[in-house]
Amino acid sequence: MPVISADLVVSQRSLEAEELTGQLLSGETLLSDTPDHVLEVVGVLESYGEVLDAYSKNLIYQGEQQFLNPFPLFKYLDGDLSPAKIWRHLNHDRINFEYAEYCMKAMLWHGTGGLDAYLDSEAFRENCNTIINCKRRRDPLLALLHPLFPGFLIEQIRNAATTHALGQFWRVMSDLFLDLAAAEADGRVRSIPAVVDFIKQGLVDAAGNPIHYGVEIAGQHFWVLPPEAGLTFLVDVAVPYVEAVFLRGMPFLGTVSFNAQAQQISPDQGRFTYGALYADPLPTMGAGIPPSLLMQDMYRHLPEPLHQWYLERTRGEGDVREKICRSFQKSMFCVTNAAINGTMPHPLSTTKPEEQAANRAYAAAWAERLALGRTDCLGR
Amino acid sequence: MLLSSLLLIPFLGTAALLLWPGKPAPGQMRLITIVILVLQLLASLLVTLRFDPAQAGMQLQEFHVWLPGIGLDYALGVDGLSLPLVLINAALTLVSAVITRDIDKRPRIYFAMLVLISGAVNGAFLAENLLLFFLFYELELIPLWLLISVWGGANKAYAATKFLIFTAISGMLILGAFLGLALLTGSVDFSLTPVLSDRLAMGGQIVLLGALLVGFGIKIPLVPLHNWLPDAHTQASTPVSVLLAGVLLKLGTYGLLRFGLQLFPEAWAKLAPGLAIWAAISVLYGSLAAIAQTDMKRMVAFSSVGHMGYVLLAAAANTPVSLLGAVFQMVSHGLISALLFLLVGIVYRKTGTRDLKVLHGLLNPEKGLPLTGSMMIVAVMASAGLPGMAGFISEFLVFRGSIAQFPVATLLSMVGSGLTAVYFLLLVNRAFFGRLSITPSSDDPRNDARLDVQLAVVSPRETIPAMALVAGVVGLGLLPMSLSRLSDASLTAMALQAMGVS
Repeated sequence: MPVISADLVVSQRSLEAEELTGQLLSGETLLSDTPDHVLEVVGVLESYGEVLDAYSKNLIYQGEQQFLNPFPLFKYLDGDLSPAKIWRHLNHDRINFEYAEYCMKAMLWHGTGGLDAYLDSEAFRENCNTIINCKRRRDPLLALLHPLFPGFLIEQIRNAATTHALGQFWRVMSDLFLDLAAAEADGRVRSIPAVVDFIKQGLVDAAGNPIHYGVEIAGQHFWVLPPEAGLTFLVDVAVPYVEAVFLRGMPFLGTVSFNAQAQQISPDQGRFTYGALYADPLPTMGAGIPPSLLMQDMYRHLPEPLHQWYLERTRGEGDVREKICRSFQKSMFCVTNAAINGTMPHPLSTTKPEEQAANRAYAAAWAERLALGRTDCLGR
Repeated sequence: MLLSSLLLIPFLGTAALLLWPGKPAPGQMRLITIVILVLQLLASLLVTLRFDPAQAGMQLQEFHVWLPGIGLDYALGVDGLSLPLVLINAALTLVSAVITRDIDKRPRIYFAMLVLISGAVNGAFLAENLLLFFLFYELELIPLWLLISVWGGANKAYAATKFLIFTAISGMLILGAFLGLALLTGSVDFSLTPVLSDRLAMGGQIVLLGALLVGFGIKIPLVPLHNWLPDAHTQASTPVSVLLAGVLLKLGTYGLLRFGLQLFPEAWAKLAPGLAIWAAISVLYGSLAAIAQTDMKRMVAFSSVGHMGYVLLAAAANTPVSLLGAVFQMVSHGLISALLFLLVGIVYRKTGTRDLKVLHGLLNPEKGLPLTGSMMIVAVMASAGLPGMAGFISEFLVFRGSIAQFPVATLLSMVGSGLTAVYFLLLVNRAFFGRLSITPSSDDPRNDARLDVQLAVVSPRETIPAMALVAGVVGLGLLPMSLSRLSDASLTAMALQAMGVS
């Protein structure tokens, strides 16, 4: 057996489902409350907020201005086609909007919640047909494609609708995370419970925000997601987003290959555990691993105190993106914690046995899924 | 005097290191060593500038009668066979000194031995007298034994003793062959004059050549005389492994060409078919044994055994192209194996293990050893003979030059070349791809997938020499003319002379 120095390998304790259920029901935060965790979570969410601002603007731009564009070559330029902007884009001095699209595709593919139900509805299909009929009169390529592949343009519109809805969702989250940083700066938020509470309050305040999406074609306005569909922020977009990106994700870890034939990937998408809460931060910045792009984007907007904190640890600048990924995972546990608290069936202070039982069942269902995640990052 | 400077610089440098006043710190000794070795490299480059590649014979010769009674003369010369090896000796000894770290125990002796070995190797490559060659050949044994036995790994005493016994036998056989030559020919002429049938009967030639083959075969090493090498490499520190693989093994192949082929051309021609088969067996055995290894260093060591077999194949074929291939193979193997041992050494320093069952994912860009891993991929591609790198051109020349003479042995050696890709891909796949970890798999895969690894970054002192070697490997692959220019005339003459007399 080779001699391996113990300090080369670090292992932290993972939590069991029962422990997590207890924490959720007692109102304790999943992430332990330490000054370092506050610095990490608030700092990384501030940089995430900056990145989400750019993602959100771009997704909304794509949904509105690049709608059914068969060759969207400049979709990441937000309509600014100046040579300087194009040069910065080609030189990769830019935000990686590919990651935003990756999340959108995860939502579209996993297809849960009210948004997905509406995208499969007859009303949506009728809207699409109206839009396609108008569009194909002005676009010979679409006029040719639609009869050949009748499902193609409708699927493109589903894509555009999810893109726009995610843009709207991230608009709210970006503002919320930047507000959180401001609250921490002026002393209103000083602990992890306060962070979770702040996010929960933000989610609850935005819960009923309507989600709708319309496009302009030849001066005419068409609804893709009309107000009468009744789609709202929390239930129809936020929850499917958490399901698709935080929990299920895509079975692609970059450094590890899966053997689908040997059932290493569950045939039931609902049992997928490849999302942000399960992801291994170690392969960060490995070629082609999607979260690497997000870490690179957040690195560009890292607040200085957090940057300094990273520089003092492990390899300093050398593994900073991997450390951002670890902090990001902690912050996503806080966001999930806030979402669970905000959607708990009954107040935690209830004394009614049946309400307590409902809360327990709800918390236990979440805990069962979270226990498979990287709870070792929670510092418990 | 120019060639003597290649001996004076290291020998005076050794004396200076040993006699340096006071108690200099290890870092200071290292710096002095680097200065000495840079001077040696500059002198070697000056020799290269003065060397006329168009001339076939020995150049820049120096001759002084030393002990005429026993036929020992101070006769030095350089030709297209020895010059590339002199250059690689200067370069790789410098690399060894630069990458030396943490020598707290007797740094003065360590660095002095390093420089002494370099001087002795220069002497062996430049000697035009058999006894003078033997003196230098033996001179490097004790310093190398010390470097392994004092600064080696946990099992250093065993490996160093084994090395000493094997190479002492090698020395005895070589000395026996040289003295046997004097005995059988009745003269004390130890110059590099070919021994032909008019001076010595074929039976006597074959006996003497056989002794030389076994003697140099131990040093190269050829199967089944290779047993000392994997242990010596495993226990030696990284700089010593670099020197051993990169330079010292070349003494064996150089000796084979200079004193086997050139001294006994007729006997060589008789034994050549057997030597080609021996070469093929060595190549295949080395490659198959490498596949079975789980220690990275042993794998690279067995790879050396296989790759040195190509030089024997080329020498057996004895055509101008194959001999050029032999020189290319010596130089490219020197660069590639030095690079491989250097990189394995970095992995060992950072992780504490070389076990391929334990190491995984070292290419991890943030927490692993990405630059080391990338250079390892270049090194294994070069070793497997990928076009554009030094390994390709040398293997191509060896095979091209040998296939007409010994098609079966050449084809078998080609299989060995293919096996190089197999074991090195196994190495890269196990140690560098996948999730980063440096622990054996446990019964709890969930916990295994959560282990975080904290490896220290690799210092520029280690990466810059490795990058220089990578540049050499790629440079030689892209510009092979730079080397063939130096050696072509000498080797063509050597092959034609041998063919003529046989």
